[in-house]
Amino acid sequence: MSQIRERGSTHVYKVNKISKEEMDEMTARCVYEQPPFCSAACPLKLDVRAFLKAAADGDFKKALQLYEKVAPFPLVLSSGCEAPCEGKCRLGEIGDTVSVRAVEAAVSRFGEQSRLGGVFRSKKRKTVAVLGADLFTLFLAGELEKKAYPITVFCGQTDCESYLRACAPFLSEKDFAPELKRLKGKDIQFEFNCRLDAAFYEDKKARFDVLCASEAMTKALFPEAAVIPELMFCEEESLVCGSCAGVLDTAFGAKKAALTVDRLAQKLDPRNMRGSEGACGSKLYTDLSAAKALRRVPLGEEGYTKEQAVEEAGRCIACHCEECLKTCAYLKHYKKHPGLLSREIYNNTQIIMGDHPLNKAMNACALCGQCSVVCPNGFDMAQVCAAARRNMVSTDKMPLAPHEFALLDMLFSNGEAFLARPQPGYENCRYAFFPGCQAAAIAPATVKAAYLDLSERLEGGVALILGCCGAIADWAGRTEMEEQTRELLERELSRLGDPIVIAGCPSCAKELRSFCGCEVRGIWDVLLELGLPEGAHALERPAALHDSCGARGDEATQKAIRTLAAQLGCELVDTLCSGDRSPCCGYGGLTAYANREVAGEMTEKCLERSDAPYISYCMACRDRFARQGRESRHILELCYGTDAGAPPDISEKRKNRLSLKNELLQEVWLEEAMEKKLDYSLAFTGEARALMDDRMILVEDVIAVLEDFRASGEAIEDEDGLLVARRRVGNATFWVKFSREEDGYLVHRAWSHRMRVEKREG
Amino acid sequence: MAVEKNYYTIDPQGRLRCVKCGVPLVKGKAKFMYLDNGFPVELPVCPVCGFVYVPEELALGKVASVERALEDK
Repeated sequence: MSQIRERGSTHVYKVNKISKEEMDEMTARCVYEQPPFCSAACPLKLDVRAFLKAAADGDFKKALQLYEKVAPFPLVLSSGCEAPCEGKCRLGEIGDTVSVRAVEAAVSRFGEQSRLGGVFRSKKRKTVAVLGADLFTLFLAGELEKKAYPITVFCGQTDCESYLRACAPFLSEKDFAPELKRLKGKDIQFEFNCRLDAAFYEDKKARFDVLCASEAMTKALFPEAAVIPELMFCEEESLVCGSCAGVLDTAFGAKKAALTVDRLAQKLDPRNMRGSEGACGSKLYTDLSAAKALRRVPLGEEGYTKEQAVEEAGRCIACHCEECLKTCAYLKHYKKHPGLLSREIYNNTQIIMGDHPLNKAMNACALCGQCSVVCPNGFDMAQVCAAARRNMVSTDKMPLAPHEFALLDMLFSNGEAFLARPQPGYENCRYAFFPGCQAAAIAPATVKAAYLDLSERLEGGVALILGCCGAIADWAGRTEMEEQTRELLERELSRLGDPIVIAGCPSCAKELRSFCGCEVRGIWDVLLELGLPEGAHALERPAALHDSCGARGDEATQKAIRTLAAQLGCELVDTLCSGDRSPCCGYGGLTAYANREVAGEMTEKCLERSDAPYISYCMACRDRFARQGRESRHILELCYGTDAGAPPDISEKRKNRLSLKNELLQEVWLEEAMEKKLDYSLAFTGEARALMDDRMILVEDVIAVLEDFRASGEAIEDEDGLLVARRRVGNATFWVKFSREEDGYLVHRAWSHRMRVEKREG
Repeated sequence: MAVEKNYYTIDPQGRLRCVKCGVPLVKGKAKFMYLDNGFPVELPVCPVCGFVYVPEELALGKVASVERALEDK
């Protein structure tokens, strides 16, 4: 098989196979959207993080707006709030917690009041009467005024001033005047000097839609009344009533009561549709490693000045979890936390007709699992993206284009370039060396040296398998192709006598372990047992060791590589994010094919950890670092004293695999290799070769076009006298611009497209 | 009468020649097809053998962007 079927149509009605429950379970692990601990502890749900940020920025107007959302009388609340937020502040673990209440008081004093409401604000039709004077009725009147109810407060006091003193006797003289002004500015009707008795109550009950009463009045009128504390409601009397336990509890009670008023005004059961109320827990993770253990700004008797409040608010570390975004170039590129991105990717799989805007993002994840290690809750983006890819493939919605080149490369590795032979002289072998397709493509001389060494030093026969382990199909979500690869390798391993597989690549080792019944070891373990081969050497300069994402969670391999590097005499420098936290080079998950921009950012992320040369133990990492211009070596190059040199282009990678196979067939198995030779010369300009590498056009594709031209003579000639021929190969049409040379052709440019084109009649 | 819509038009203006037939390419009717969708266009076509030429700029520009859009349908 050398061609993959393109899906036929964009009109696909197959349904999705990932259940919403599965996705909810996956996304629930991301704690990014969890509230900070301070806000979670606040029953009024003040956005403490945003409030302190505004205060720290000196924007007291905005800070006050945020505070007024939960506190209609901010000076009253901040004067007596018990501030449970401060008890939950994470800074308390290393120093003083942020003095939120004192900042709230300063903001309430110095913040400019916003001019919301006013004469143009439309009011609700249902009327509310609030009877009595206590802290609960004050807060409730404020809450209801925010909700635009026409409210009338009935009290025994003589004026607003005496009413406020009765409601908030703890308010200092300094704060009293501004809060009185605020009260007078609110759209609340007052009727003073009322005699609040049963007759008065009955009269108001007939005139108002909803009645609310202070704690004292409720007790006086209905001493036996049963008040439902969650609703602040006495059902028998249909009376909204409260209690004044503490300032914050009273404010929370007023908030609950205001919601009950809402329900009653709409003639609904006050029990229903209340949403989440009160303080809650939080699973947020906060990294305190960079936080400074500072002391609070000392609080004077008069509270904070504006400047002091700014300084104190500035101590807030704005608790949020971005552990994965700090280390993952992919998540950083999309600027989304994994919970949100996963939901969007899930929605993408749900779309039956129309655009799938998240295809590119879904295919850009390296599936490396780094997030699952750095996330405090083990969120695994790879699980989400791999499931989404498999789902898109199985429902025929996955475009072939992003992965086709890689999949064809896998078919090439397991077709034309495939080799599975027992060591000469053995029918069944004790071992089989499986270097991996990238090793054969990038460092064929190293693979050859390794095989010759292993077959010489190990007893029992060492077979050789040149091919792909199937990881490419797995990454592309093509389970059928993965299954075919597994069948091929299982068949060959069985034919070789079920040997112990010696893998040259940690990703191959991982993939092979997932399905084949044979024992799979890494070549690094074998070399540690056998001792280093002759010619092994260290890098002359200190180097950074890059752990392969295929070895994530495989501590034994990570350790073995370090021991091997030490035996080689390599001096390793420390890097951030090594071991299990190591990032992917950009090859994993086929990112390098599906989204080159993100793959480039991944490589950069790997390389920014050190200026030193890099030693890796995955050939794809070695290749990508070298392509980025960094001195880069695979540990096997050091073990065998080989140097793979400059990174090969896509055509050279294929040629290397074929040449390695043919060379070994000739030298080890003494067979004549079938090498195709052209009966004309074929040359490329430097520009053409670079274009081909960039546009994923192989020398084989160019040869196919030229063969077609030689047979049909079909081409066009442009103004410069250059010829342009084309041929459909698989799912793409390749175009080659060339000139005829003495004994062949010189290729100047090449391009391709996937659309078919043909002449149309009429 | 409805005017026929072409998504793209290139007139070779006699600058291209069919090697096989030895005649200049002319502006001719062609169509692109991809994933069950078809787009009528006018491209340089050999009036004799019907060779349709897709220039590099078109392949990497408009054609590539329409391919991406259809692939994500």
